[in-house]
Amino acid sequence: MNNTHINPTINDSFLKRNRIGKINRVKDKLFQAVGIIATFFGLVILAYFVIDIFIDGIARINWSFLTSLPSRFADKAGILPAWTGTVWILGMTAIISIPLGVSAGIYFEEYADRNRLNNLLEVNIANLAGVPSIIYGLLGLEVFGRLFNLGGSLMAGAFTLALLILPIIIVATREAVKAVPNTLREASYGLGATKWQTISRQVLPASSGGILTGTILALSRAVGETAPLIVIGALAYVPFVPQSPMDEFTVLPMQIFNWTSRPQADFLVNAAAAIIVLLVITFLMNGIAIYFRNKWQKKLI
Amino acid sequence: MAKETDMMTNEFVLNPPMVNLFNKQVMNNINTIEKQNPIIIPMHENSPIKLISKDLNVYYGDNHVLKNVNLSIKSNTITAFIGPSGCGKSTFLRMFNRMNDFIDIFRKEGQITIDGIDIYDKNIGTEELRKHVGMVFQKPNPFPKTIYENVVYGLRIQGIKKKSILDEAVERSLKQSALWDEVKNDLKKSALALSGGQQQRLCIARTLAVEPTVLLMDEPTSALDPIASAKIEDLMAELKKQYTIIVVTHNMQQASRVSDYTAFFYMGDLVEYSDTKTMFTNPANVRTQNYITGRFG
Amino acid sequence: MQIEKELKLLRMSLLEMTMLVSNQFEKACLAFDTGNRDLAMEVITNERRINACELKIDSDCENILALHHPVAVDLRFVMAAYNICSTLERIADNADGIAKYVLEMTGPLSADVINQLRFKEMTETAIGMLNDALDAYEEELPGKAYGIHNRDLILNEINIASSTQMVELIKKYPNDVKQLLFMFSTIKKIERVGDLIKNIAEELIFYIEAKVIKHMYTKTLPEQKN
Repeated sequence: MNNTHINPTINDSFLKRNRIGKINRVKDKLFQAVGIIATFFGLVILAYFVIDIFIDGIARINWSFLTSLPSRFADKAGILPAWTGTVWILGMTAIISIPLGVSAGIYFEEYADRNRLNNLLEVNIANLAGVPSIIYGLLGLEVFGRLFNLGGSLMAGAFTLALLILPIIIVATREAVKAVPNTLREASYGLGATKWQTISRQVLPASSGGILTGTILALSRAVGETAPLIVIGALAYVPFVPQSPMDEFTVLPMQIFNWTSRPQADFLVNAAAAIIVLLVITFLMNGIAIYFRNKWQKKLI
Repeated sequence: MAKETDMMTNEFVLNPPMVNLFNKQVMNNINTIEKQNPIIIPMHENSPIKLISKDLNVYYGDNHVLKNVNLSIKSNTITAFIGPSGCGKSTFLRMFNRMNDFIDIFRKEGQITIDGIDIYDKNIGTEELRKHVGMVFQKPNPFPKTIYENVVYGLRIQGIKKKSILDEAVERSLKQSALWDEVKNDLKKSALALSGGQQQRLCIARTLAVEPTVLLMDEPTSALDPIASAKIEDLMAELKKQYTIIVVTHNMQQASRVSDYTAFFYMGDLVEYSDTKTMFTNPANVRTQNYITGRFG
Repeated sequence: MQIEKELKLLRMSLLEMTMLVSNQFEKACLAFDTGNRDLAMEVITNERRINACELKIDSDCENILALHHPVAVDLRFVMAAYNICSTLERIADNADGIAKYVLEMTGPLSADVINQLRFKEMTETAIGMLNDALDAYEEELPGKAYGIHNRDLILNEINIASSTQMVELIKKYPNDVKQLLFMFSTIKKIERVGDLIKNIAEELIFYIEAKVIKHMYTKTLPEQKN
């Protein structure tokens, strides 16, 4: 009497040695292994690079290196104008691009109608994020350098870089604002708030994490940009610290590039040291921004 | 004898003239009982009318979602809107605080008045309206702020800053929504750390802080467990002494427990609107009966 | 909670009705015993009030079931209340009937008749049963309710005996046939009241202990609990 249909009992299909289950489990482990390898690959390469640079350049870093002007002599050359220039350009770019980008993002998400023109704009702005940065350089040269007559100043550089990172900020803002649940807005309106009150008191605070992250990403990109700045006329040899927005300037990437193209070995050491400084600035910037982002997130949760 | 005719109506009078009851003890007992339980006339019998919907037709684009809805709601009552999904009851609820204005394709004909004022008149500010007509939503949606800040939000957006006024409002509202005792020691706690039932009571407190006269509740307990739901229902019974409440609910048992009047909607039509007792014991319309008994929908 | 309020009101209303009905029955028995016409008039006048009670309690039970969906003990209570209410109304009806007989009779019956038919014993037993049922309801202890079944047997016994005795009594007092017939009817009514009280006891036990003892013979009754 075959009663396996009427009264099913545990049979072989449950056991681990079943073939199909076995194949699935192998695939599982395989994917896990691939993930680990991929992660480690990136980390290992990064670690190698950082350690290498460190070994090359750490000895060179001292107070005089950080506070000296560049010179023909490697041991006298310093990065003062370069890192002050970087800080200046970062600051000015942030001041120009963040308000513009965040406002535009909010406008698109909260105020604009869903018509064809706006959809077109949305697609194009996302595309702009992928345009090669040298194109922005050319645009900056023509419009800011020549048309507005700003020359090769910090102002021109800041505007150019701001244009460059604007699409990133806009997209990040839009995504962050889109992620705010509609129930929050409804609750705010239900209590008699106006549109602006709802945005300023609920939507912005709730999306601040995402906006900040996007801004950090954008500014990180700006810190490392060299090509557009070269085009608008940032110089490689700037023997002074910028005092005003209209001054000419240089930035760390440019200084690094300049030194690496020199034949003397000592300048390569300088370049390594400068790279370390640039890395420190980048990490510091990211770190501060992430710290503040976490702090605000914690306040809200 | 007097009161004979009273037996013909629904009001049963328990004290026609008593003729010398034999046992004095029994007579005293009965007197005590009657003093404790006088005939209770529902408080809404003589209430004025608070909200009126007149010949209301609502369209979402070409979709005719509410058809010729006529009803009036009395002050200090709880009215329940019941009906299957998509029948228009939530849409109708949102007409009273103009939340449908946010929908692009919304269009209406007919009139909605509160206290005699047409609320869709162009001179009416929606922000002011929403201070008088508060809303509680289906899923508790406290702001990601502290309990204190949640309750005072409605006051802050009116520009009220004085701490004493805000503090008083917080205590009053939280007491009214039966949450004060549970949170009074830690008003700076995040609202998101509260349980679901507490969050919903917080949302009610937040709505009460701006001192509305009407409370609209859109399935307020559908996301809560039975005990939290029961607390909210008790709260509603208490609140109706001060406010006029409209509840949209999928739960017919809740409608029968809690409301004084019930309106049954089906596919945009108001099929029946009567006092809850009649609706659930002997509805006039056979469609209502079919819905209530669960024979369709 | 709203349902608690409603149940409490129902409990009170039913208690009031039991007190009224108990009182009516006592008065009717006494009136019949002594031929007191005034007492009988009181019973007849108060009958209207009992009917109003019944209608109100019926309506309240309907409301509670429709609007509050009681379950478990609450449901048993409402079901029991509904039945007890209509049973009480029938008891009161019987009392009213007995009182009406008093108005028809020209005077009280002789002591001999009353003794032979064990009328006093019957009325006292019935009143005792009713009071016990009232106590059991008020205190919610089923102990007294269980005792009622046994005493109903006494009433049945008296009732059955009355048929043969009535034949003899009519031969003995041929001028009082009308009175004796009223007495006969009254004995039947009291026996019926005994059955009705037994029904109330069954309903109380159902409500308090969720046990159904209807139609169970005395021998097989479960153990009396206190």
